[in-house]
Amino acid sequence: MNFFLEVLVGGLLSGIMYALVALGFVLIYKASGVFNFAQGAMVYLAALSVVGVMEWGAPLWLAVILAFAIMTLFGIATEKLVLRKLVNQPPIALFMATIGLAFFIEGLAPMIFGSEPRALDLGIVDEPIPWILDNWNMVISKFDLVAAGVGALLVGTLALFFQYTRIGRALRAVADDHQAALSIGIPLQHIWAIVWGVAGFVALVAGMMWGARNGVQFALTFTALKALPVLILGGFTSVPGAIVGGLIIGASEKLAEIYIPPVMQDLFGGNFGGIEGWFPYVLALLFLLVRPEGLFGEKHIDRV
Amino acid sequence: MSKKIGDVILDLQNISLRFGGVKALTDISFNVREHEIRAIIGPNGAGKSSMLNVINGVYHPQEGKIFWRGKERKRMEPHMAAQQNIARTFQNIALFKGMSVLDNIMTGRMTKMKANFIEHALWFGRAKSEELAHRRKVEEVIDFLEIQHIRKTPVGRLPYGLQKRVELGRALAAEPSMLLLDEPMAGMNVEEKQDMCRFILDVNDQFGTTIVLIEHDMGVVMDISDRVVVLDYGKKIGDGEPEEVKNNEEVIKAYLGAGH
Amino acid sequence: MLYREAGQFKTTYAADQQLFPIRQDRIGLLLLLAVAFVGVPVLASEYWFSAILIPFLIFSLAALGLNILTGYAGQLSLGTAAFMAVGAYAAYNFQLRVEGIPILVSFICAGLTAAAVGILFGLPSLRIKGFYLAVATLAAQFFIVWCLTKFPWLSNHSSSGVISAQDIVIMGFNFDTPVTKYLLVLAIVSVMALAAKNLVRSSTGRAWMAVRDMDVAASVIGIKLMPTKLLAFAVSSFYCGVAGALYAFCYLGSVEPDGFSLDMSFKILFMIIIGGVGSILGCFLGAAFILLLPIFLDFTLPGVAELFGLPFSNATVSHIQILIFGALIMFFLIVEPHGLARLWQIAKEKLRLWPFPH
Repeated sequence: MNFFLEVLVGGLLSGIMYALVALGFVLIYKASGVFNFAQGAMVYLAALSVVGVMEWGAPLWLAVILAFAIMTLFGIATEKLVLRKLVNQPPIALFMATIGLAFFIEGLAPMIFGSEPRALDLGIVDEPIPWILDNWNMVISKFDLVAAGVGALLVGTLALFFQYTRIGRALRAVADDHQAALSIGIPLQHIWAIVWGVAGFVALVAGMMWGARNGVQFALTFTALKALPVLILGGFTSVPGAIVGGLIIGASEKLAEIYIPPVMQDLFGGNFGGIEGWFPYVLALLFLLVRPEGLFGEKHIDRV
Repeated sequence: MSKKIGDVILDLQNISLRFGGVKALTDISFNVREHEIRAIIGPNGAGKSSMLNVINGVYHPQEGKIFWRGKERKRMEPHMAAQQNIARTFQNIALFKGMSVLDNIMTGRMTKMKANFIEHALWFGRAKSEELAHRRKVEEVIDFLEIQHIRKTPVGRLPYGLQKRVELGRALAAEPSMLLLDEPMAGMNVEEKQDMCRFILDVNDQFGTTIVLIEHDMGVVMDISDRVVVLDYGKKIGDGEPEEVKNNEEVIKAYLGAGH
Repeated sequence: MLYREAGQFKTTYAADQQLFPIRQDRIGLLLLLAVAFVGVPVLASEYWFSAILIPFLIFSLAALGLNILTGYAGQLSLGTAAFMAVGAYAAYNFQLRVEGIPILVSFICAGLTAAAVGILFGLPSLRIKGFYLAVATLAAQFFIVWCLTKFPWLSNHSSSGVISAQDIVIMGFNFDTPVTKYLLVLAIVSVMALAAKNLVRSSTGRAWMAVRDMDVAASVIGIKLMPTKLLAFAVSSFYCGVAGALYAFCYLGSVEPDGFSLDMSFKILFMIIIGGVGSILGCFLGAAFILLLPIFLDFTLPGVAELFGLPFSNATVSHIQILIFGALIMFFLIVEPHGLARLWQIAKEKLRLWPFPH
């Protein structure tokens, strides 16, 4: 039973990390209606920027600030050079453009900062918390807990930001209807700059967390792909949905990885690991059939 | 006009339609006779498009019965309506923007095409002869609507008035016995409206097609329709010949205004 | 001036319906086929066959499959490589387990198996659209590759799922040299491309395009959405399955599930975006472009690097390749969303006047 709890908690915690990446998607989608497939690549870019700048001699805090600057500039450039030019095209074209963007980043970032896997030391150790280990015999990583805390903090802040600040309201207005927002005087360019800045910041936090945990390497982009099932479960436009979706995906994938292979092995022989690779997607697929808009998303209505 | 108007072909009884808490249609009953031109009028939001969508099978009413040619229809899906020879046009043009005019109108013949995809891939026998036969029919429609010069143009590039005409063409290509037109003249100038009126009258005259038409232009409605139904806030407030309805107090209050 | 259509009047609908109504197009195509079937085998070297022409044809076929699904029927798919994998492994298993089965029948059965799997993973398209569907196809991509790796029966109990394709023997003739393999692949791809062209301009193709453009309207005029969408998945997966079988049997010789990765699915998607979504010609143009670009870069980049005195490693070359792919995708989507096929059409229009200025 303790083992089950351990796996569950571990899954929940990694779920928060997925949610961090999903948050970036939600932000950009909420504000501009663009489904940014390049979010994972952006996480990678952020993490690489931090370690890359540190390699050039800067201390951690400076690297983080510079990385944030890089991400924001990058976001603004993307909006200006790519997204604005695609305004009249169907959403699918925009989506494919973000796929192109993802590849672009995945080629550019390692060229500038190098592609060997590197560690990112944030000063938090990835080892079991002693008193949980002693009292309940469960291995729960200190790092995971801190990451979860950071994630929760970030989500809470963002939720408050959207709901109660002037800028947050403006962002929601823009997400609803660009023309209408323009007509009441909301400066669209500024808003988008802010959105990409915030999304970049979220990517940076996610990048640093994931990078510290697994090392800063190309596989980071695949981890980020996992955010897609998170979004499907949570709904594309919901910040709390990203968290709930992340928790569900994180927990279920770990549980599946532990508990399904032995059953398969008994039935078929051979080794059945690696379920984590597809389980979240299949779960998302099944979910889509039942509730396409996600747990917290808005229903899409086709008017004839 | 000595036109032979037939028996009741469509009978709607006590139709009620709700979307969540919003009542789109409440207890509506009226009928349509074969070969007639029936207009549905009313203020915006009265439920006119919803009414057409119910006839067509796009929306399913929570209450009420629909009788088509005397038989009750339990649950209609849009493609079933198409197979029963009901065709329609839409308020916001529902053409296939990626295809040419010719291809769009050819899709109107879809219910009549029998060849399967293997025959299409191999392009022999039935697939080939069918395509040519239907092409001939579609060209007749193109002639009728005078759009020969744009037959290969992608529909997305055409001006609004021509797009509406192509949409009418697609509906006509299906050789429907009943044609549902949702504001066919919206957004047109006087000339285009006259052309469209002429086409609608010709269709009714030459092919005997029953027409149910939503329209805001009162001049058109009074001129060409045989009978009129008036809706307001999802309820029926008038039903009868144009002259009758024009003088109906409720209708004047809700929609027409004095001085019509 | 060479390309003028003046004087070529069509007096029957049948004449208007031809695949290539303009005489110059027909002549051009005949020349191309002559070169492909006769000229190339005589002139090209083994390297050209094995490394360029055969993969070009195979990926064109896969691109055809994806274009039918995404370009014509409007169902975005990121699982193309997985369906190719199904085809490869199915062909291998049919050859292995069915005594005396002709190889071409194995290929057809492989295509049909892929089609069945395609229909299964296409079922969600009845309820979901757009990028939701794309995520669902990701599920197909990851799950199928995992299955092929983990279920030992599928790869005849080899380690890590590697299979080695059997020999191709048709009517006693062994297709074991690059030239013969090239001709076989060319023949198969030509036939299937012709079938695809016929399909897309028939009412099947129109039904697909109608569903792509506005599915509610399509339903209203009598197109049944479920069979239409599932047919698109089936035909598309059939094409990808055959492409996968050819990939294993005529190109690599031995394959493993990880070789049919998400990366390959993206590559094929890029082929149809750059080549031209919704265009048969575009599949070939896109495949050629995507396949030739790395070779081109391999030739030119070291020279450029020396010119600028920059350090260049192999890793950098592959990074630049990825970067250029990404940039090109964005470029084409912004500048010419209909891809190279449209550019080709524009060029033909200019040819009408050339060499005169107006």
